[in-house]
Amino acid sequence: MIAEGDKSYVLFPLGEKRFALPAETVTELARPDSVQTFPHRTPLLTGVLVRRGRIVPVCDVAQVLVGPAAPPRRFYLIANCKIGARQELTAVPVTGECELASAALVPLTGKEPPYISGLLTLGNETVEIVALEKLICVEATA
Amino acid sequence: MRSRKQLRPQPQAAREDVIVFAVSGFKLAIAAGAVKEIRGMEDLHPFTLGGISAQIAKLQFTLERNGTTYFVVDAAQHFQLPPSHPSRVMVLRNVPTGVLVDSTDRIMEISALHALPPAFTHAERGWYRGLAVVSGQVVPVVNHGAFLNRAELETLRAGLERVRGVVTV
Repeated sequence: MIAEGDKSYVLFPLGEKRFALPAETVTELARPDSVQTFPHRTPLLTGVLVRRGRIVPVCDVAQVLVGPAAPPRRFYLIANCKIGARQELTAVPVTGECELASAALVPLTGKEPPYISGLLTLGNETVEIVALEKLICVEATA
Repeated sequence: MRSRKQLRPQPQAAREDVIVFAVSGFKLAIAAGAVKEIRGMEDLHPFTLGGISAQIAKLQFTLERNGTTYFVVDAAQHFQLPPSHPSRVMVLRNVPTGVLVDSTDRIMEISALHALPPAFTHAERGWYRGLAVVSGQVVPVVNHGAFLNRAELETLRAGLERVRGVVTV
């Protein structure tokens, strides 16, 4: 049952932990496709995917969210991300299947990094909501 | 209300001939009209010019052609890739620049140039004019003016003038 005021989120696993993106930003969960790489210097970006004629950058957020020990990524969560003035699709590699969930936001503790925009409580699990654009910008300027 | 066009920039749909070349295992492309000549490694002179060699480490050789000194850049160093095994020089048109590449593949026509996604924020924004999709493969189309920028060319011209007297670049 969805309580009034609850929003929908797509929960995605990165190893043992799960994180969330607002459902309205997610456009699809794609099966593994060949990531294409070319020379570049932007941290976190591992290459691009071609999806329906569009070029979608692949942003490996696991490096930041769970560290280098994350297990192999199995799927790509493709989400809209506002970078500068433009909305762009961005592919986020995830390590397992995703789930749609609705929950109310829990207040932030103040100790979260700037790219965590909120918290969800699902049973005993606290799930961090990722602000993809902030994560990309923080890492790009690091 | 924002238009669809603002949200989703369309690729430039101009047809263009490009030369596909390889550097350190990557395939890249350059506008065919930007290349004057593709040649072997013969007649290259090692470039050593005091502090300038250290300032522009990617500059490895010079090449004299028809009274012009071309400054030959190692593409692997330009793109900050591991050392490669260059075998060809692309002599560029309208700029005194040559580019060392591992191999040149073929000339082909691309039908659209996609903007580099804005998530790419570092040096690559200067390296590439955009991305082409060729038979499903993404190939960056290089910005040929970035191999040696105007400031670097001025530095080189001044350095060579000091050493040689006057040189035309």
